[in-house]
Amino acid sequence: MTTEILLFKNINILPELFLGISLVYFVLYGTFLSMKKNFPLIINSCVFLGILILLMTSFLLVNDSLDVLECTILSNTINNDFLSLTSKLIISISSSFCLLMMYTHLNYQKINQFEYILLFLFSILGLFLLCSSNDLLTSYLAIELQSLSFYVLASFKKNSTFSIDAGIKYFILGAFASSLFLFGSSLIYGVTGTINFSDFKDLFFWIFPGSILGFSNLEQYYENQDQDILLLALLEKFEHSQDKLLSQYDGNILRYEIENTKLYENSVYNTEKLWIYPWITNSILDSIHDILEMKSNKLTLTVKELDYLHYWLHFVDITDNMLVEKIFNSYYLHTPENPSDFCDNGAFDEKNKTELSKWFFGSFSLLIATCVKSSDFQELYVLNSSFDTNLLQIGLTFILISLFFKLAIAPFHIWSPDVYEGSPTSSTFFFAIVPKLGLFVLLIRIFYSSFYGLIDNWRYLCVTVAIISIIVGSFGGLEQRKLKTLLAYSSISHMGYSLIAFNSGTFEGIQMLLSYLMVYVFSGLCIWSIFIIARLKNNHSLKHNKDLTDIVLLNKTNKMLALVFTISLFSVAGFPPMIGFLVKVGIFLTAIESSMYFLALISILCSVIATFYYIRIIKIMYFEKVIVGKLYYPISSNKGTVISFLFISLIFLFINPTLIILITHKLSLLLLN
Amino acid sequence: MIINFLFYFFSFILLLSSLMVIVVQNAVHSVLFLVLSFISSASLLFLLECEFVALLFIMIYVGAIAVLFLFVVMMLDIKTLNNKKDILKYFPFGSFIGIIFLTEILLVVTDTFKTNPYINSSLFNYYTNWLDKIDSLTELESIGQLLYTHYVLQFLIAGNILLLSVIGAVSLTINTNHTTKKQIIFKQLSRTYKNVLIV
Repeated sequence: MTTEILLFKNINILPELFLGISLVYFVLYGTFLSMKKNFPLIINSCVFLGILILLMTSFLLVNDSLDVLECTILSNTINNDFLSLTSKLIISISSSFCLLMMYTHLNYQKINQFEYILLFLFSILGLFLLCSSNDLLTSYLAIELQSLSFYVLASFKKNSTFSIDAGIKYFILGAFASSLFLFGSSLIYGVTGTINFSDFKDLFFWIFPGSILGFSNLEQYYENQDQDILLLALLEKFEHSQDKLLSQYDGNILRYEIENTKLYENSVYNTEKLWIYPWITNSILDSIHDILEMKSNKLTLTVKELDYLHYWLHFVDITDNMLVEKIFNSYYLHTPENPSDFCDNGAFDEKNKTELSKWFFGSFSLLIATCVKSSDFQELYVLNSSFDTNLLQIGLTFILISLFFKLAIAPFHIWSPDVYEGSPTSSTFFFAIVPKLGLFVLLIRIFYSSFYGLIDNWRYLCVTVAIISIIVGSFGGLEQRKLKTLLAYSSISHMGYSLIAFNSGTFEGIQMLLSYLMVYVFSGLCIWSIFIIARLKNNHSLKHNKDLTDIVLLNKTNKMLALVFTISLFSVAGFPPMIGFLVKVGIFLTAIESSMYFLALISILCSVIATFYYIRIIKIMYFEKVIVGKLYYPISSNKGTVISFLFISLIFLFINPTLIILITHKLSLLLLN
Repeated sequence: MIINFLFYFFSFILLLSSLMVIVVQNAVHSVLFLVLSFISSASLLFLLECEFVALLFIMIYVGAIAVLFLFVVMMLDIKTLNNKKDILKYFPFGSFIGIIFLTEILLVVTDTFKTNPYINSSLFNYYTNWLDKIDSLTELESIGQLLYTHYVLQFLIAGNILLLSVIGAVSLTINTNHTTKKQIIFKQLSRTYKNVLIV
């Protein structure tokens, strides 16, 4: 085994290393500063230090030399392709936005521990590693790093019962989901003997292209096709493969195709077509000798193979291969009734034709088996026929469910409204937006890059879960009076929409998934940052605006903020002059293109229903008549700048969606190379 | 010979101690027997030359989990009930179910391990290279070599997770302001049933 240690020349994990090392210095900084007697207001400097670290990390990411071909490093456990690079960039920039938005809120909430920012940075490190992980172990560790810091962030307000409650709920369910992930990966390791995604890709995409299910589909396919066309196609293929040695994969495929065409069983006139190609007979004559020599050493032939060989022996000059025939006779005692008759007189009656065609394809497939490099026909046969994917499917289902738990997709969503409501708003801001992208990148890596051959199996679960998630997200949000819970339900339905794009299994599906997630991050940042910086003027400084009715007078106090809030809510709901419309339409189109009409219909209807609760917020903001209300403090200018940037990007991307479409196009192209 | 003897010895202790975990009345004794069963199973693993797993067993099960059990049992102050009379009452039914399970397990075991499970696969007759065996590393050495070279990044992430958990635990339990109500453990533990005022 060649061990590969950190080589500095292709060190692509420099951003992660920088983040990890600066975390250690951050601990030192915070500890020395908070040890002082007079309790300094440490959180401000820590927030800006965190933003600085994140921006420097994104600088390193931008400067990273992108290798397109060999992007896996550290003995294949880290994959630094364009997808991971872009998603890391988005994560770091959006989380620095988060930090910038939340720091006054932290001051008012009297959270003055440097650990808060430190935990944020830890979770961002986990998300970075999650985006670029290329095996199950690394991704598990990254998920743990990310979610452990989330548990602590959720329960950070120690004097609030809700916060502790949310933290414990998050911890128990998150640990449960992690254990499911571990169980699934142990099953997969038990079946395949590897945990590396590129090995899975080699195994299930190249060598075994499809499960047992796939092969049975293939058989049906061949039965329905025109046999003559198939025969010609096979001959063409075989002609091309004459020049070079076939790879193992090609040989397998060709063998299966020949077996499944059933040409040598049910068609009678194929032999005449075969004679058109004289090179076949020549090449077979040349190489059959080698086959026999090779095979006679091993003596591990199946009855079928012996059948083929025996037929062959009556055609070649037997005096050459006396020894060989002796060997075969000793192992294959059945002696057929002199088949050389029909060779001599040249008259092909019906029965002989079938025999001949049978022989031909027998020798054909044997020849192919010899062309294959490993050339152990029997071993290939064993590997191909006895590979059972049931256990693998169970493992994949476990992994899928655990990631659905982490993404809070219905029916695994029960924790999310409680946790979002209970944990401090600044933490919820972060939970709701940033980790979704990283987890979806992991999902794409597992289910598209490595287990795409089993798409027929995992797709059903994904489709069901997507429908349930959209329905739950749309109907569950209708009853909510609290803004955070409502946004939690909104995020559930959005994850359902992205799951539709995920299970389409097409190139456009990935493209629309990534662009939907990007837009989700943008608009989520916009909504949550308005939610967090709009601070009520009231006597209880610790009370935050939680109910829907708290935003009654936002239009009166801050017209611009109310307008931006409205526009971003419209974008999330999917109204036309915003980017949210385009990506939602794209998702429905991918669903329709991959013939999931029912799913598209249900999701469109539910999208209409979900619009109700977005519009209700706007209605409360603009058209509610109230006698008493609460006013808001004005916001500072730097936050206004960031929010207006996000707001303009929502509209600008609708006018010029090429930017996001091009980036996601490149992402999906490089992913599916 | 001596290894066989040790194997039977430790497995006897394992069976006996795991039986005692259930049978013994006192909860503290039961946990101590649990520790004994863990230690004997770890020594069984040592005999099978799986040092790493055996050490993990001792460190995690004995060092962490069993001691935690012990603390909890000692803190909860469970009353020992004398229910020896019930044993005779439950014995027939319990032994009936036990015999059923035993026969099931025996049937499955004899059925499954009758033949070599590899006999149908291509890995059958996979020969052992004895030359490699002579110069082999121990398990701990090979794991260490892999951990520090092949899986260096995963090792670093695991270290980060440990740092994170320490920081999280400290930040959740540290008491910076004194206005919050906190648990006074001594007071809580010294409360007994008799001291409580019942109105």
